[in-house]
Amino acid sequence: KITAPMKMVSAAKLKGDETCLASAKPYNAWSDAICGPSQEVEDATFEDLPKRTLVIPLTSDKGLCGGINSFISRATKSIVAKAHADGKEVDIAVIGDKGRAQLVRAAEITPLIQQTMTEVESPGTFSLISSLSADIITVAEKKEYDGIMILYNSFVNAAVYKQKYKLIKPFESAGDGESMLEYEFEPDTKSEVLQDMYEYLLTSQMYECFMDAAASEQSSRMTAMENASKNAGEMIEKLTLQYNRARQTRITTELIEIISGASALEDKD
Amino acid sequence: REHRLFKIYSNKAVAQIIVPGSEGEYGVTANHSPIVSELKPGVLTIFHSESSEPEKFFVPGGFALTHPNSVTDITCPEAVKLDDIDSSIVSSAFESAKASFEKADDGSIAKAEAQIDMEVNKALGAALGITL
Repeated sequence: KITAPMKMVSAAKLKGDETCLASAKPYNAWSDAICGPSQEVEDATFEDLPKRTLVIPLTSDKGLCGGINSFISRATKSIVAKAHADGKEVDIAVIGDKGRAQLVRAAEITPLIQQTMTEVESPGTFSLISSLSADIITVAEKKEYDGIMILYNSFVNAAVYKQKYKLIKPFESAGDGESMLEYEFEPDTKSEVLQDMYEYLLTSQMYECFMDAAASEQSSRMTAMENASKNAGEMIEKLTLQYNRARQTRITTELIEIISGASALEDKD
Repeated sequence: REHRLFKIYSNKAVAQIIVPGSEGEYGVTANHSPIVSELKPGVLTIFHSESSEPEKFFVPGGFALTHPNSVTDITCPEAVKLDDIDSSIVSSAFESAKASFEKADDGSIAKAEAQIDMEVNKALGAALGITL
């Protein structure tokens, strides 16, 4: 009985999340020119992972949401496996209690978890995500990662979501790998502008991923609740049938007892 | 209250824009050389065609990136149409920011925040033609 209203609540929240996502995508579109578009996890080889990557899986705190968290945990594990096979390093900063719970079950993953962030209100606001990305940058600076990967579920429609990732590499303001050579910078302290832009870029990317993950979570929860309702309905039908049969059997048995008792009495007469 | 982020224009062809860069306002037309500019609080002006009336937005900051292919991306945490701004609110916001600034300890975060508050409101005022 509770699954039907839960589904309705998810449906209402999904509308809101879809609207947020619809504006988040064009808002973050500028980052594609710098980092490239998001990639799908399904066919990814992860061959071009940088030497040290911080992976940020976006998962939910609450359950009863279908498979969204399992897909992300699985993807995280295969990324770690591939990186280690290639002699590369991965650290994890997991967002969401469900993801954390699933990841710590794997012994080889647990030591990689640098940080866990739970009770991050979904889908979040720009301020919230700004402060989250500031936290991440603090962690990232200490460990000098060559890349930050956001791993999340991307909303396709009310029935479908896909795992995607965005890889954000830090800017180099000088030397061999100097970023954005063909651009003039204003103010001309290129390293400072790049530093500021990097913080803003991470926030912008996280914002879109959060909105996407939130819409995916709601659609997944809706489907899970609908399936639960359907399954519950089917189970109720089956059990009702069983109950009625048992009832009939008992009545028949009683009747037989009454009739045989009655006929035994008659015979005595 | 927090507002959700909106796109204003996506893939829009325009004649010219004037961007409030940190070193001053500059105009961008087709074939402008590539530049990454950290914005200062100020007015972003869009001319949809050569002869049209400009559309003006106030932005508190952000980044403008003009790419080699004549595409300019402008990204800001907020942008407000100039017409939607109430000048009396701007004046009083400036005054209260100034009061906070004067009260705060030197070098504190509160002081820095109040200073930013003052600068943004001052720029808002300038955009509306008031000197604060």
